[in-house]
Amino acid sequence: MATAFELDLTFGREVQTRSGAPVLRCYFCQKCTAGCPVAYAMDYKPAQVLRLIQLGQRDVVLSSSAIWLCVGCEACGTRCPNQIRLAPMFDTLRYMALEEGYSPDPAVYALHRSFLDSIRLWGRVHELTMLMEYKLRSPFGSDLLADIRVGLTLLLKGKITHLPERVRGLAQVRRLYKEAERRSSTEVET
Amino acid sequence: MRVSYYPGCTLSTKARGYDRSGRAVAAALGVELVELPEWQCCGATFPLATDNSLALIAPTRVLYQAEQAGEQVAALCAICYHVLKRTQTTLERDLEMRERINWFTEQEYQGRVRVVHLLELLRDEPGWDGLAERVTRPLKGLRAAPYYGCLLLRPYDEIRLDDPESPTILHDLLRALGAEPVDFPYNVECCGSYITVKEPKISETMSRDIVASAREHGAQVIVTACPLCQFNLDYPQRETEFGRSGEEIPVVYFTQLMAVALGLPEEDWGLEEYYVDPRPLFRD
Repeated sequence: MATAFELDLTFGREVQTRSGAPVLRCYFCQKCTAGCPVAYAMDYKPAQVLRLIQLGQRDVVLSSSAIWLCVGCEACGTRCPNQIRLAPMFDTLRYMALEEGYSPDPAVYALHRSFLDSIRLWGRVHELTMLMEYKLRSPFGSDLLADIRVGLTLLLKGKITHLPERVRGLAQVRRLYKEAERRSSTEVET
Repeated sequence: MRVSYYPGCTLSTKARGYDRSGRAVAAALGVELVELPEWQCCGATFPLATDNSLALIAPTRVLYQAEQAGEQVAALCAICYHVLKRTQTTLERDLEMRERINWFTEQEYQGRVRVVHLLELLRDEPGWDGLAERVTRPLKGLRAAPYYGCLLLRPYDEIRLDDPESPTILHDLLRALGAEPVDFPYNVECCGSYITVKEPKISETMSRDIVASAREHGAQVIVTACPLCQFNLDYPQRETEFGRSGEEIPVVYFTQLMAVALGLPEEDWGLEEYYVDPRPLFRD
């Protein structure tokens, strides 16, 4: 837990440079929070995150659940009177959290990993195997049985196929993955 | 007119009805959608942090394939459209980034190809008046709520399809089909997107507000251009609490209403796979 005033004066500038969003301009009109469809589920609302950044509260921000809930719908950025785009800001905060060793929301991380693995394997997303992997990667009390029901309905409706399609350029797709992983510094193990 | 077409993963699986109706209505209007000979997933999320260039690789690879095939590439899925269009814009503005990606993929993407949504294509040719003339079965009296969601419109600076807060493109299309577009305050709200996998409760709340609002404003059907919106608004009406409490309202793609209005055969409608069955609306 951070004590109340552990100021990190470089934090705001860093977020601003990496996200391209001028977060230091915010004057707290809270339009972003008002229009955010997931704000009600966040520990700190979008405008509060901005203010915490301005106040140099690195630890509070990077360990918040809010940064993992933003889905990037860009309603906030569209409405901000100071042209602050919060979606890039949240994306940057997620990267910073990973780099600085904060553990990501395990479910979000599992979802992103499973998605990437599906494309590595087939070149395209295959929902059935992707969601199976997601479920296996998320041992945190997820409701496996509930989702089997959704999966079965979708299968019966012919909405997801049993067998994945493979793309012809798969060799290149896999080579790109290998290269990308070699360069990536944000790979974490959960 | 022949235009390259990028279906994307979801349109070849979960949203096959969108793909089928899209190809059929385009053909009926003289546009042949030619699927790219080789494509992979677009990545489904656009990288937002400025130093995350890796996530641009997948969409750039798609744009490269499209550039070999022609001047334009059309998408139907709002998510694929969003990712490809923003990649096009980004690599137009940031030549250094384009060089970096090309060096990485060992493919020379030149930045010439233009990403278009089928809605844009049809707005320009045959245009809404031209479309209205080809309607053989006007959707008279059908109160349809155009639901735009987020990714089709925002951020405006990079997408430029329509006004990000008060869009009209789906309204205009519905009017051309003879239907009555229903305005409702949630028409540019986000449906919850992929949060439906991780936090179904949050996503359900978001969908419930959207569906309830459309219904309160008298809509008989919700019209979308996005497969994830379709699922997020349709599925919970049958499979969770909120749907059972009130009347149901079907959620369809704009191409499916077009297929009906253009008098195409029922197999081209692609309406058989939904939780809330839209077909009773169109049976005489």
